[in-house]
Amino acid sequence: MELAVGIFANVLILSSMYILVALGFALLFSIAGILHVSHGAIYTVSGYICWQLAQTVGINQWLALLLTVLIVGSFGLFLERFCFRPFTGDFDRSLVVGIGIILILQTTIVVTVGQESRSMSAFVAGILHSGPISVSLERLVTFAIGAAMLGILVWFINNTKPGLQMRAMSQDLQGAIMQGININRTSAIAVVIACASAAVAGCLMGAYINLSPFMGDVVLGKALILVILGGIGSMSGIFYAGLILGALDATLPVFFSGSVAEVIAMGAIIIVLLFRPTGFLGRAIA
Amino acid sequence: MISSGKMVKPSIWAGLLIILLLLPLFVKSPYLIHIINLTFIYILVTVSFRAILTSGQLPLAHAGFMGIGAYVSAIAAKWLGLTPWLSIPLGALVAMGVGILIGYPFARLRAVYYAMISLFFGMLIVSAVKAFARWTGGAAGLTAIPPLLGFSKVPYYYFFLGLTTVALLILYRLESSRPGLNWKAIAQSHMVAASVGINEARYRIIASAIGCLFAGIAGATYAHYNTVIGTSSFSFMATIMLLIYVVVGGVGNFAGPIVGVFLLMTVPELLRGLREYVPYISAAIVLLVVYLMPKGVTGLVKSLISWLAELWKKRRANNAS
Repeated sequence: MELAVGIFANVLILSSMYILVALGFALLFSIAGILHVSHGAIYTVSGYICWQLAQTVGINQWLALLLTVLIVGSFGLFLERFCFRPFTGDFDRSLVVGIGIILILQTTIVVTVGQESRSMSAFVAGILHSGPISVSLERLVTFAIGAAMLGILVWFINNTKPGLQMRAMSQDLQGAIMQGININRTSAIAVVIACASAAVAGCLMGAYINLSPFMGDVVLGKALILVILGGIGSMSGIFYAGLILGALDATLPVFFSGSVAEVIAMGAIIIVLLFRPTGFLGRAIA
Repeated sequence: MISSGKMVKPSIWAGLLIILLLLPLFVKSPYLIHIINLTFIYILVTVSFRAILTSGQLPLAHAGFMGIGAYVSAIAAKWLGLTPWLSIPLGALVAMGVGILIGYPFARLRAVYYAMISLFFGMLIVSAVKAFARWTGGAAGLTAIPPLLGFSKVPYYYFFLGLTTVALLILYRLESSRPGLNWKAIAQSHMVAASVGINEARYRIIASAIGCLFAGIAGATYAHYNTVIGTSSFSFMATIMLLIYVVVGGVGNFAGPIVGVFLLMTVPELLRGLREYVPYISAAIVLLVVYLMPKGVTGLVKSLISWLAELWKKRRANNAS
């Protein structure tokens, strides 16, 4: 019983972390058709910016998070204008630009801060005890913020004007242009949201696990799995995929050693995709 | 240009080959020879990557197949005592076999879905290597693999020169033969290709079988050359780097991957003195090429040559009149 409750708590927390990290990536992949490979690097850099602001400049860590979101969000504007817009519809070249950005960001971290990992102080300290289980408050905050951001984003896409414009763009780009949608502005909004959510994820996860220059690579892999499993073009699919991946990653290591669990999880994902290439809630794209 | 210059290209390649054959007489630094050897291996992998790419499939597990070749061969030689001369073909054949086996189910998927499922298969390979840590060394890597030709770098240089030359000749011939043309047809439109009687699934599987075979050869020889292998050389990011080499060099040209490997692997390696600043050089090359040369370096060179030829023709016409 105790084990079951513990596993359940772990599933929720892992899932919310995956969802938090994959949100922005999924938005860009689904809406703008951009495979945003530099998402992981932006996530990493955000963690470092927040750490630097809190540690070196010495401002409150929550304020530092807010500032980081603003800085990285405006970096998103730059990214959209100079890195994504010139390569619209050119998958290979936009991927290559993304790799260039990764190289620059990672190297900048290595050169300025160094390769060794850094620890950031927790946003919320303390542990919540409730009967047989005890969960650190930080995990709960991560879970709450992840869930809230997913909710807000789904609401945003389904109910606001820019959100509806994004959906129109993802369904039919030509049609969206003919309806007078300013596609450049709309994709700029999407990129800024993606970068801002990567920033939130980077700050929270940076405090949770240690900061290291290459921590974004793992995140990129998880985000890719979530988007594909959830279905390209579906934001709520991310939620289910996050839950399933979280469940796999939280329960399998109980029964198998780490890498064997990974093999089983990847095998399961591949088999699911063979029978349902579009993921759980996706639609076929060309 | 085409009629009078028919012998230009082969003679350039023959000249290059002669220079490469004589190179160890002038280059005495074992470190430089080592870099050139690595360049040969990566040229082999990247060209085979592009071979699969021409069939309209983005094989994001390609570095993983290199890893299959490397680990199978290394394990066979180290734990089963097989001579590397037998274990290398074994590793390559296993890589090809796996390529064919996954080719059948994966041929159901196209475009981005194929890319993603092969990406996940690549991740599966890496975690499988980590899972069987008893034989593979796991995340720490496999060390003390029996070397193929001893520990001096120069014999390997001639070995890799020969291997890469033969492999490139085969892949080059293949591209303009029936299978190669079928691959290009499938990549352009699988519907049209099927309507003229090309068996899409079959030719896509052939493409991945051949690509994986050469990736396996490269991986296996790399294992017995380097004598140390780790999972990071075969990870998802390693495959992405192969794609970058191809795109920077130029997807549309057989020489593209060769130029790409030279620019992005050899040049940064030669500038190792800059230490942690080296990735800036790679990033600068990547961004420069992507912004200024839409068809890669070879694309630019090609249009430059045809522009010069045009100019030359005009001038001769003017002089004659």
